[in-house]
Amino acid sequence: MPMTAVEKVLAERSGRSELRAGEVVEPQPDFIMVHDGVVLSAKRELDQLGIDRLAHPERVMIVTDHEVIYPNARSAERGAANRRAAKQWGVGRFYDVGQGGHGHIFPMESGLLLPGMFYFDNDRHSTNAGAIGAFGFRMGSEISRVLATGTNWVMVPKTIRLTLTGRARPGVFGRDIGFVIAKHFREGGSWGVNPDYRVLEFAGDIDPFDLAQRTALCSSPTEVRAYGTFFPPSAAILAHATAVAQRPFTPVYPDENANYEAKLSLDISAIEPQVALPGGVHRAVDVSEVAGTAVDHAFIGSCGSGHYEDLQLAARALAGRRIAPGVRLMVAPGSEASTRRMLDDGLMKVFLEAGAVMLPAGCGSCNDGVIGPVDGGEVSISTFAGNNNGRMGPKDAQLFLGNPATVAASAVAGKIVDARTVMDFVQ
Amino acid sequence: MNASTNPDPAKASDRYDWRLRGRAWVLGHDIPHQGGVVPGWIVTGRHMAAAEIIPHLFAETDPGFHTRCRPGDIIVAGRSFGMGPKMNGYIAMQALGLGLVCESMPFLGYRGAIGAGLRVLTDCQGATEECETGDELEVDFDSGMFINHTRGTRREYPPLADSLKEIVALGGNTGWLQQWWARQGDGNAAGGSDRD
Repeated sequence: MPMTAVEKVLAERSGRSELRAGEVVEPQPDFIMVHDGVVLSAKRELDQLGIDRLAHPERVMIVTDHEVIYPNARSAERGAANRRAAKQWGVGRFYDVGQGGHGHIFPMESGLLLPGMFYFDNDRHSTNAGAIGAFGFRMGSEISRVLATGTNWVMVPKTIRLTLTGRARPGVFGRDIGFVIAKHFREGGSWGVNPDYRVLEFAGDIDPFDLAQRTALCSSPTEVRAYGTFFPPSAAILAHATAVAQRPFTPVYPDENANYEAKLSLDISAIEPQVALPGGVHRAVDVSEVAGTAVDHAFIGSCGSGHYEDLQLAARALAGRRIAPGVRLMVAPGSEASTRRMLDDGLMKVFLEAGAVMLPAGCGSCNDGVIGPVDGGEVSISTFAGNNNGRMGPKDAQLFLGNPATVAASAVAGKIVDARTVMDFVQ
Repeated sequence: MNASTNPDPAKASDRYDWRLRGRAWVLGHDIPHQGGVVPGWIVTGRHMAAAEIIPHLFAETDPGFHTRCRPGDIIVAGRSFGMGPKMNGYIAMQALGLGLVCESMPFLGYRGAIGAGLRVLTDCQGATEECETGDELEVDFDSGMFINHTRGTRREYPPLADSLKEIVALGGNTGWLQQWWARQGDGNAAGGSDRD
């Protein structure tokens, strides 16, 4: 029976020769990720039940990325509790403050998350795994059952195939296309397909997209409730994975004639750089529609735009320039390795000379503005994963989203600009 | 295949009372979880204890709801109920002895309701047309039978998936884990560990 990528991966992890969407299985994961905000509640729940050991502690990866800098005493207390939990449980990998970076970025960069893998995560942005051809499923607070027993029930999601056709115009990037995808998907959107709990499998002219661009494309579907995304790994992705792999891996590709709930296509050659208006990633408009809007705050990073290549792109817009007076620009690399690389190759100098403030690798302000919020009524443009009202603190702040070049160029201009007006892009 | 994650499905769900009889509380479409079912601060503050959540269930749309509802009552909601993946509101509903029937809800909301041990039916097309607030309802969450005694009508809706019934019967994720742990050997309540 032909299977989609997610059906294949879950079948293999569930000891099944075939699997269809809608079936319930208990797959065995390659690893289990828990972030710093959730360790304590899972520990408390298991402690109260007397569950003092994990089924597979060696598979557990705790990542401190949400509150890398403790913004208050409660956060510091939680950090200490996380360290105690990691020790008591004997977890295999504990990437604490300053050690890993963003849990949905650095594992792909460093060969921990590889093509064909499957893992459980408490956080929904585990959909990023699709960028490298893997799956990460969000369990929320039910991650406690995964920790205790090693797995949890999963209803196999239906798959929607999206074929991208054409070449993106110079200056148009994964985030722009992602915003357009979210717009088409959103209920009442032109595709008429509900992406809720679906896997979005990319197909078509996707070879030009590198890992950073694939990650960017996987981000916005998550915000309109896709449960997974998947890119069949290209030769370049396989070469990267092979070079950094910390364990063997077997890439997975969907079968011909697999059963898709819908087959959609999108001509990306017609897409302009986009800005998502405050309220949601699906509220995408051409940047020209909002150009000139004055901004107070800008941010580059997050699981949607946290790869080294995203920082490089932003740096090109900043090189030799300074951000406008009255604007603050925060930058959070996706990994500690990226921060060090920025130092080695001069990117750090570009950002600092432009007047940017460097945050430690991790989620940065995208974690609901716990670190570096904005004030009510302020205007921000960022590469946040999402821009629901209140995501950066007060509900009446105006949160715009754009690609890293748009955000950096806008920080320099002090207003939203089309980055193509200040820098050259080659296809 | 690791069989350790199976506490004892048949018995738990066989013993469970799947039928609720009580009054209907009919809600509209598109009621989000955060800022609808419960105030936003309940979610962002990670309040997961039933006693903390109950006074705030539907507080923004129907203040004092928790004082008027009774065990056995059934919330009948329209499309896209409980948008959001969190389970706080369902913890309160479960603790109050309520059931939930809705025309649709996002899958992770449905998963959250099951994780909270709530008797829930989704994909019940036209359910909000089948009753009005105050009608006497009887719903069998095992079979999907939906009876409106006030109107003398009945409908059959998709039941809870068989494979998920044990979780609800055991009281949700925490209850399931409690049962699972009790069945592990090695110093716990019952013998027969097969954890590895």
